[in-house]
Amino acid sequence: MTMTSVQIEIQLIAALVAIACAIPGTFLVLRKMSLISDAISHSILPGIVIGFFMTQDLSSPWLIIFAALTGVLTVILVEFIQKTGLVKEDTAIGLVFPALFSIGVIMISRGANDVHLDVDAVLLGELVYAPLYRWEWGALDMGPQSLWIIGIVLVVNIVLLLLFFKELKITTFDIGLSASLGLSPVLVHYGLMSIASVTIVGSFEAVGAILVVALMIVPAASAYLLTNKLETMLAYSIGFGVFSAIAGYWLAHWLDASIAGSISVMLGFVFLLVYLFAPRRGLISNIYKRKRQKMEVSLLTFLLHLHNHNEEEERHVKHLGEHINWNNKMASSVVKMALENNMIVLDGEIASLTEKGETFTNEAIDYIVDDEQLELEGMKDRYFLFRG
Amino acid sequence: MSFFEYLHLLFTDYTLRTTTLGTAILGAVCGMLGSFAVLRKQSLLGDAISHAALPGIVIMFLLTGTKNSSMLLLGALASGLLGAYWIKGIIKNTRLKSDTALGIILSVFFGFGMMLLTYTQKLPNANQAGLDKYLFGQAATLLTSDIWLLGIVAIACLIVLMTFWKEFKLMLFDPDFTNVLGFDTRKIDVLITTFIVLAIVLGLQTVGVVLMSALLLAPAAAARQWTNSLSAMVILAAIFGALSGIIGTAISATADNLSTGPIVVLVSAVFVFISFIFSPQRGLLFKEIKIWNNRKLLEEQKTLAFMYDIAATHEDITHPHTVKILNNFQGFTKKTLQKLVVKEYVNVNDNMWSLTKKGYNEAESLYSQYVNDDD
Repeated sequence: MTMTSVQIEIQLIAALVAIACAIPGTFLVLRKMSLISDAISHSILPGIVIGFFMTQDLSSPWLIIFAALTGVLTVILVEFIQKTGLVKEDTAIGLVFPALFSIGVIMISRGANDVHLDVDAVLLGELVYAPLYRWEWGALDMGPQSLWIIGIVLVVNIVLLLLFFKELKITTFDIGLSASLGLSPVLVHYGLMSIASVTIVGSFEAVGAILVVALMIVPAASAYLLTNKLETMLAYSIGFGVFSAIAGYWLAHWLDASIAGSISVMLGFVFLLVYLFAPRRGLISNIYKRKRQKMEVSLLTFLLHLHNHNEEEERHVKHLGEHINWNNKMASSVVKMALENNMIVLDGEIASLTEKGETFTNEAIDYIVDDEQLELEGMKDRYFLFRG
Repeated sequence: MSFFEYLHLLFTDYTLRTTTLGTAILGAVCGMLGSFAVLRKQSLLGDAISHAALPGIVIMFLLTGTKNSSMLLLGALASGLLGAYWIKGIIKNTRLKSDTALGIILSVFFGFGMMLLTYTQKLPNANQAGLDKYLFGQAATLLTSDIWLLGIVAIACLIVLMTFWKEFKLMLFDPDFTNVLGFDTRKIDVLITTFIVLAIVLGLQTVGVVLMSALLLAPAAAARQWTNSLSAMVILAAIFGALSGIIGTAISATADNLSTGPIVVLVSAVFVFISFIFSPQRGLLFKEIKIWNNRKLLEEQKTLAFMYDIAATHEDITHPHTVKILNNFQGFTKKTLQKLVVKEYVNVNDNMWSLTKKGYNEAESLYSQYVNDDD
């Protein structure tokens, strides 16, 4: 099966949108402002409608300009309401965008009923039709308009990212430092917001408001669970975005369903995998870590108990249930772990500390008394042959 | 359409009556529950849940083939709850913050719902028309049975709120203390989250996915400005919500091409706007007035203190001076001088002023006040 040029164009647009969204998305996630993308993607509706009323042309660049302005206006309004302190932060977002969206819906129903500008298209986008609206230079076919629009947005994003990478990085991670270095966090903030608005506006025509949110947040969130380095995180976000865009296209093709929806599903699938399996930060690794921590604390409790008691009846393995309040299974696995690590010896059913167990316990007591958690962790590496 | 015509229609027209009743009950329920969402800093949970409910509706339709709204809402409830708990799971188990968790669930669930919806649209013989109404809401499609459902949920919600009022209140303001007292905070949390999801799901048919969150938030945010008491806030929010529903429906009924959902949301936004500006304790207007009054008072005191400095250099403190020497003092205006005269701190004769005994003492106490503050 060979791909038609329309299919290639759709995938190309989807991939470019994914890259363009991943760049500001990474910073939004890191700055804990993910939902501002949701707000902007909805509240640009009135901007588009006003632009349309003024130009009567759906493909006019004025639409994009007005929409981007409404996006920035949204951010300013949200921040204004936050600053009054009358409501908590997220409430401000939740108040502003439905109101602006409602205004947009009402304007459409009052004035633009007869043209092709409906709310469905704005919310959901339709990538399938994107190759139909082409840009012609004289008689020359220059390709789909959306491809050009998102291409320009992407170039702007990349150029600004390269130019202001240092500023973005420092203001994101250490506002205090950035201010003392003479960078302006406020300027960077509004710059980022403007770029996010422009990116959302440039993308939503192809993929719709909700998918823009998905493409901004989900790849960046997945990447954040895999790395601590900003550069790596950007690369991962872009990779996840592009993969989901292409895979989502084929999923949609197979099911004959909405491309935007299918791309979201693929993004969700990628996130689910990372959420479950990410090394060190995924769900499974967290559960494992918690279990191990619990075992190791139990072992330490057991050793301290032995350390404190010379009486044989206190050191009887059968008595652990009574004294430390463990069930049999727990007790036997703790004893097994202690044996494996050569911390205790068993004389019949009586447990006593080995020399290694004695030194370990003494050292541990010192650290516990001084409340030095980190040292305790390092000690586990030195003494344990088998970990919990 | 005049007001009386509207009233007449309200009692004779089936659609207007059910719609008005439906939006009013919905507004009241959302207002009540929204108060808890707003105070628990979960304002945007509603937005995420309303989007997350979509796949449940479509899956229910695919499974049963029915368009019976209560069946579909059951599916919405299930997927809304799943979304809500997954959000909690993401926040608890990873280092992602609540905003990102909300955004992920919102967009992925909604995208999944859209994929399923477009998939069903292309299935042969599947008459899915009518599912889209959950996207944008169509209050006019409310039936008497829907009103009954809303009413039952409203009453259930009221009973639960009153029964567990103490627990809810405690948990809202001090979850740790609630735990220590021996209440099972997880159960209380499940209860309130379930009711919030239920209210959102019921609202989908009326105002749609996008605008549902506003109906939950706006009345509560408005009510918050007028009171510091939880019970008063819940009642006020319910009233604001119901009024938004009634007024919004009335406005949309008077004109063609005005869907009810957006109008109801805008009416509730007006309530928020008015509350933000005019609420007596927290409102922006009164805050401005307070600041303005303080500034005026400060100018007056500064002038008085300046006069005191001059008067203190004379043995007779009531010795008159020309007004001119005050002119290059910043903060001095004819008005402040006039005010000082009214308060009997200063006497003015022609172009001469003199401090009264009362004014002198006032200025002196002003000084000692500042000195004490410094200590």
